[in-house]
Amino acid sequence: MNKEITKKFLKIVVLTLLISYGLDKLVFFSLNKISDKVMTGQSIGKLNQFLSVKDTTAFLVFGNSRANRHIDVDMVGHKGYNMGIDGTGIAYNSALINTLTENKKQFILVHIDTKNFFDTDYEGADIRGLKTKYQRDTNITTALEKSGQLSVLQQFYYSMNYNGNAIGIIKNYFKPSYNYKTYNGYDPISVSADQESMRDIVLSNFASDKECLDNHEVNTMALDYLKSIKTFVEKSPNKTFLFVTSPIYNDTCDLDNIKLAKIMQDLGLEYRDYSNLYKESKDNSLWKDATHMSKKGAEAFSKLLAEKFKNSKY
Amino acid sequence: MLFNSIEYLIFLPIVFIIYWLLKNSYKNQNILLLISSYVFYGWWDYRFLSLIMFSSFLDYFVGQKIEQAIGEKNKKRWLLVSLCSNLGLLGVFKYYNFFADSFASTMSTMGWEVNDLTLNIILPVGISFYTFQTLSYSIDIYRGQIKASKDIVSFFTFVSLFPQLVAGPIERASNLIPQIEKKRNLNITLIKTGVFQIFIGLFRKVAIADNLGVYVDSVYANYEIHNSSTLLVATVFYAFQIYFDFSGYSDIAIGSAKLFGFNFNRNFNFPYFSKTLTEFWRRWHMSLSFWLRDYLYISLGGNRKGIVITYRNLLLTMLLGGLWHGSSWNFVIWGAIHGLFLSFEKYTFSALKIKTFNAFGYIYTFIVVLIAWIFFRASDLQSASIIVTEILSFNYGSLFIGDINAFVNAVLLISIGFLIDLKIFRSNVSLEDYGVRFNTVKLSIIVSIIILMLCLFYSTAENFIYFQF
Repeated sequence: MNKEITKKFLKIVVLTLLISYGLDKLVFFSLNKISDKVMTGQSIGKLNQFLSVKDTTAFLVFGNSRANRHIDVDMVGHKGYNMGIDGTGIAYNSALINTLTENKKQFILVHIDTKNFFDTDYEGADIRGLKTKYQRDTNITTALEKSGQLSVLQQFYYSMNYNGNAIGIIKNYFKPSYNYKTYNGYDPISVSADQESMRDIVLSNFASDKECLDNHEVNTMALDYLKSIKTFVEKSPNKTFLFVTSPIYNDTCDLDNIKLAKIMQDLGLEYRDYSNLYKESKDNSLWKDATHMSKKGAEAFSKLLAEKFKNSKY
Repeated sequence: MLFNSIEYLIFLPIVFIIYWLLKNSYKNQNILLLISSYVFYGWWDYRFLSLIMFSSFLDYFVGQKIEQAIGEKNKKRWLLVSLCSNLGLLGVFKYYNFFADSFASTMSTMGWEVNDLTLNIILPVGISFYTFQTLSYSIDIYRGQIKASKDIVSFFTFVSLFPQLVAGPIERASNLIPQIEKKRNLNITLIKTGVFQIFIGLFRKVAIADNLGVYVDSVYANYEIHNSSTLLVATVFYAFQIYFDFSGYSDIAIGSAKLFGFNFNRNFNFPYFSKTLTEFWRRWHMSLSFWLRDYLYISLGGNRKGIVITYRNLLLTMLLGGLWHGSSWNFVIWGAIHGLFLSFEKYTFSALKIKTFNAFGYIYTFIVVLIAWIFFRASDLQSASIIVTEILSFNYGSLFIGDINAFVNAVLLISIGFLIDLKIFRSNVSLEDYGVRFNTVKLSIIVSIIILMLCLFYSTAENFIYFQF
């Protein structure tokens, strides 16, 4: 490689770095401007809405798609907001809970799943779902940096924060998916007549007996995130926390449930396990699939939660 | 080490800089390439380096022996040593369990229960690729087409050169060894075309293929609950996923090699723009299809021994080509479908005295390829049959979308990928040479746009599809 070639090669490298850096910032700041105004959709809208209502709402629900689909905050009796998001786990929810104002009086329901705590492969990657707020929300930035889930390239190319979400954000900016002012975060699943047969096949195929073959070793990372919530609980005496596992279609192994209940007890966290609530019921209409209840099932479960809370300190 | 990893992003520039600092001695450059290639491979599992070293040593030694042997019989004897050793290794690591399992099943159907004969064998990454590469070396020496290499470092570098080590292109000794055994130069054409191809490859793999894979995986994992529309869309997505995944890998490999002054052979030439399956195989995984043609089809007699033998040879070549991909009956059926339709085309062309089909040929070819892909992607024969039956039952209900963001991204990216392909295809310039059309500023802008697209759309698949082969 002679001098001239070296010069040309360096020119390509330097120009590419400069142009890509500039282009990245242009897109990043444009998306910031747009995304701040987006209040609908799971790309960023729901998170934006949560951040705007979190300190003025008396009842908040955290969790994954099961929390999102199973708990009708209006039925439970409080004016609240359901922050359940598809595909999230304890890392994502721990980070969000830590954004709450400590002294504010609130009832917080955290939906947890046994699978999350005994999944040996769980690395807390779900926290990446908050990357759109990286460097823009102090608590979330701290949680993301601590998680080690961000790419080192993210320090140079900021638009990576919008990875996978850009189209959804732009779409919801121009055409909001729903009226967010009347949205409480709860997204029930209605099962249409032509989906019923598919649902029945799924349920008939569902058997989870292999779960009991595992030794159910707790995932230390999931446990650490749970402990981080516990620390927040201790710092927030005005808040009431309740941890809940909602029903599952056919949980044939209860060893993990027992272990999780013991962990929660040792940590001094209030926990209710409803995994087997509808186990004896053979009513498929309560279900969308083996892990998600239908709107009918969610309403029945929310009603039950409301009744339980009416008779308790909650 | 994966091409789409941070490790490679660090590895490539380091090796590149040291390599060109050693420009005064190509032999020192070769030593560096050999060490780097072993680091590259050892990053995955250093234990299997011994296998590559063994294979390299064997063929280096046998190559010399074939050349030195006097008389056809002696040459053939040494060639057999190479064939048996290389295919033996491949057989043990790749096919032992398949044949043991198939044998046990056959015995069982005949009423004889056989104990479990399968072994816990790990498939070494890239074994199918470097085995074919070393085999072609021995065969070419036997055929008198090349001379045996006298430089052991050069030969070892030929077998293990990192850009093509784990998933090809399967380079011929006649193309690569002469390049390794002389001084390489880097010129602006190689830089431009190499850089352009590396980034196009990254975009194809990380943005397009991996995003398509999200939808494909979710549908194929629960194929029994999906209707015809969903299975058809997932299969179309898979057709593009595997194309962009593998051609993307080849682009990064060929582009990386250019930065070290090497010209690899082309591996893909827009295969979905083919009017016949024959043409498809001239454009798809070209280094494998030409290998099969030159070392298997022609060795079996090609089309020189009458029409029946020609059809047999075609079918046999494609069956073995299918089996090369993996030890599963699905791959055999995939090869059989291609073999049958290639024979059908041969017959039709000869009967109608035509050389190709009209524009409808594009659709015909894509449909045949699509049906065959179902067998390639499905986890077993039963699921593949169910998927084919469901698609052909025309139960076209509402489409399963899954994660709306992922689906929309996939549709957008497949469209961008298709348009890029169409643009290059219509330019009559190969992708390998396309980068030379841009000046340095234009090239930097294009690469920057690709980087931005990667930031916005990268997906996180663990591996390249062809690594499993």
